Amino acid sequence: MYMDQLNQAVKGGIAPFHEYLLQGSIVDSSKDVLVHRLRGLCDNADSNPEAFHDHEMIFSLKGSPQQQPMTVYLRHSLIQTDCWHLRYVGSTEFGDKTRQTLVRSCVDIGVSDSIVKFLNEIGFKLEYEFVAKGYFFHKGRMKVTVSKLFKMNIQGDVNNIDPLTLSCLVELSVVVPTGQEQVGEDMKNFAEQLKPLVQLEKVDHRRQQQAAT
Amino acid sequence: MALAGVTVSIEAVHENQIQEVTLDGQEICVPPLSMSECLAKSAQKIDFAEEDGEEKGKTTSEEETEAQEKESSAFQPSLWPWDSVRNKLKAAYTETGVLLDVLNIAKEKKYMVLAHVQQDTNEPKSALQILAKKKAFGLQSISSGLSTAASVLMGGADRLKKSQQEIGNRQQTEFHFELHNLRQNWRLKKVGNSIIGDLSYRSAGSRFWQGGTFEVTKNTMLPSEQVEGTNTHSALEVVIPSELEGSSYVQVEVKHVSESTGLMHATLKLPNSFGKYPADAHWQTKLEVAQNVLFCKELFSQLAREATQLKSSVPHVVVGNQIFTNIFPSVQLSIILCHATGKGDEKSQPRPPKVEHNHVLEHSLHQLLREVHHKTLHLDPPHPVTATFGMTKRRRLAGPSGMSRADLKEMSESETLLEQIIKQARHEVLRVRTMTTIDRLASTIPDPQIMAHWSCLNSSLQSNVKIIITSNGYDGLRLTWQSLDLEIGTDSIKVVTKDRRILMLSFLEKELEDLIRWQVSQHHISLSQNLARLMGWQILSYNGCSGVGEMEDFATASSIQLVAPNNDRMLSIRSGITSGLHVYLKIDSKDSLDPSLTALVDPKWLNLSGTFKEIDMEQIDGRNFAAKLEFIMAMVKQKR
Repeated sequence: MYMDQLNQAVKGGIAPFHEYLLQGSIVDSSKDVLVHRLRGLCDNADSNPEAFHDHEMIFSLKGSPQQQPMTVYLRHSLIQTDCWHLRYVGSTEFGDKTRQTLVRSCVDIGVSDSIVKFLNEIGFKLEYEFVAKGYFFHKGRMKVTVSKLFKMNIQGDVNNIDPLTLSCLVELSVVVPTGQEQVGEDMKNFAEQLKPLVQLEKVDHRRQQQAAT
Repeated sequence: MALAGVTVSIEAVHENQIQEVTLDGQEICVPPLSMSECLAKSAQKIDFAEEDGEEKGKTTSEEETEAQEKESSAFQPSLWPWDSVRNKLKAAYTETGVLLDVLNIAKEKKYMVLAHVQQDTNEPKSALQILAKKKAFGLQSISSGLSTAASVLMGGADRLKKSQQEIGNRQQTEFHFELHNLRQNWRLKKVGNSIIGDLSYRSAGSRFWQGGTFEVTKNTMLPSEQVEGTNTHSALEVVIPSELEGSSYVQVEVKHVSESTGLMHATLKLPNSFGKYPADAHWQTKLEVAQNVLFCKELFSQLAREATQLKSSVPHVVVGNQIFTNIFPSVQLSIILCHATGKGDEKSQPRPPKVEHNHVLEHSLHQLLREVHHKTLHLDPPHPVTATFGMTKRRRLAGPSGMSRADLKEMSESETLLEQIIKQARHEVLRVRTMTTIDRLASTIPDPQIMAHWSCLNSSLQSNVKIIITSNGYDGLRLTWQSLDLEIGTDSIKVVTKDRRILMLSFLEKELEDLIRWQVSQHHISLSQNLARLMGWQILSYNGCSGVGEMEDFATASSIQLVAPNNDRMLSIRSGITSGLHVYLKIDSKDSLDPSLTALVDPKWLNLSGTFKEIDMEQIDGRNFAAKLEFIMAMVKQKR
């Protein structure tokens, strides 16, 4: 049902966007080298890398047991505390193996701080949450983030955190209107340049989930 | 065997030696040797002298057989005592016979021709050997002399070769060194065998369609071959695309045009030294100039695009490489792209020496485009990091905070380069106008002094000036100051007077002039007022806009009436903008009054009216009005 509504929204021209994504990880000890390299490769090499500090909450709405739960990602910046962002990510388009990157539809909405209350009201439940800290780079319209994920010891307390792993998540993503296939090529070329440091690949999340269970 | 399967093909060597390869690739072969030449060559290779030498040590086969015969004969029982003598004679006879045969062969050309064997010049060594082997002493000395000479020559050739190689190596390292330098300042990449560089502003945020690629090549010219008079030799050369050759700049001109002059009229003036730089300039200079050309082109195309799109009451005109726009009535701003390739014969064009080029505006144009570049590159980072990239924070918050349509519209509005430069030009024109107006008035109005204090802190769109009107000698007294602040904007001037009234003036200089003149006339009255207070006089009345008397061209005259401390003298001062300053003194007194009335009227009523007479201010001593008035007041106050 929700999916239909979403499809309608997409058809209605509200958010005909696609996200192209490549992911990889790097151990903490080599992070500085990667950041240095990214500074050189990306735009604004003259200024310091932009740091970010976000709190992400994942809400899901479960319908009947047969249906896939509907999941939304809510992010809240801890630097600019008035900025909240809600995101829905569609299922990955696996159909085309020749594609260089993972491609999925997405809906991005800027929201205000009352969103948590609103989501709870309409039946969404908090699944899990984490804190992400790291650096943001951009080259043209490509976004590169190097983020360290932290788990929260007490629910809702963003100050009481512990690192989740000994490595950092590296993501290269572009959000573009539908039908711009050139982006994947550009991203692949960019990923090539980071190669010995970090291996950016299209990650099959479903398979990973299956492996985990 | 492992190698059994390998087929080895053998090919005959080229039979004939190649003598020369012509420029068109044709090979000229040495003609094959004829039989006799072949024989001669083979014969030449035989070292006869060696054979001779060997002969001494060894015995020939003939001798061997003879010796064997001798041995066999030695076993013969009947050994004849003259046998050895006979043998020797026999041998001598044989030798003589052979000699005779040889002589016959040599003499009679029937069997053999003795031809002179040409010495192979390519192999001087063999010739030397032959010479050396000659037993003759003289020849030996010659050969040794030749060999020393040869070794000297060979040594010299070796040294030359070595030095040539060194030069080559140095050039190679110089090239790499310069390439390293180039790499530090410019973007380079290797495509195939060539090195391509990029001098465009793309990486700095430009979105101009025209690219700026250049090629880096090695300078093959040797330092010794370069043109006289140039001392810089670079191992590296850059090839710049032809459309970016030469040099260019954007000429900005603000000029006054009369209504009759056609709008589309501009003279392009180029300074003499412009557009020429030496062809063998250093690559850094070349690249910088080409980059500037590209920048100017981008700037101009941006302006031209905006000029055609921008709606205004007076349309902007774009003709070729010129943009005209009217910033004020009869004031025109022209922006011209000058691009000199430096190739054409420029001396043929007559050039006026003075170029009315506005460097400040040109500089701001450059700055504006660079700002645009900077903005395209320096986008607001998204927070949280998953948020849509490329929006400002305000834009991102527009949805959640429920911004109105008007707010959004206001946010999306941005000024084009042309609008900004027009504003700056307007401000500049207005500032210069204000400046000249104030200066002119200060020099034409001598009495109250007009001083202008320009604020050093101003922007390209606003500047401030404080005008102070004082009287010489009285400027120490703050009471006698008249001041007004002018805030010069883009097309109007905001005036704040001493009493904090705010007036808005348009761009017309007449308005400012009128205002200052009015202030000057006001100054006289306020000066009189303050002077009266200081001298103990009383102010009877003050009228800011006096309705009596001569009509002024604009505004109104003001007047003041002052009474002396002992109440018997009165001064009336009227100050008009065009009518000027007039001072009247009441001449009525008790003495001059009709005696019949003295009994009836209280003397105080005499102050109400009376006969006034104008004082000729020219006749009064004093540098200025203030001094004169003080003098009059002091004189009149005295008890009669």
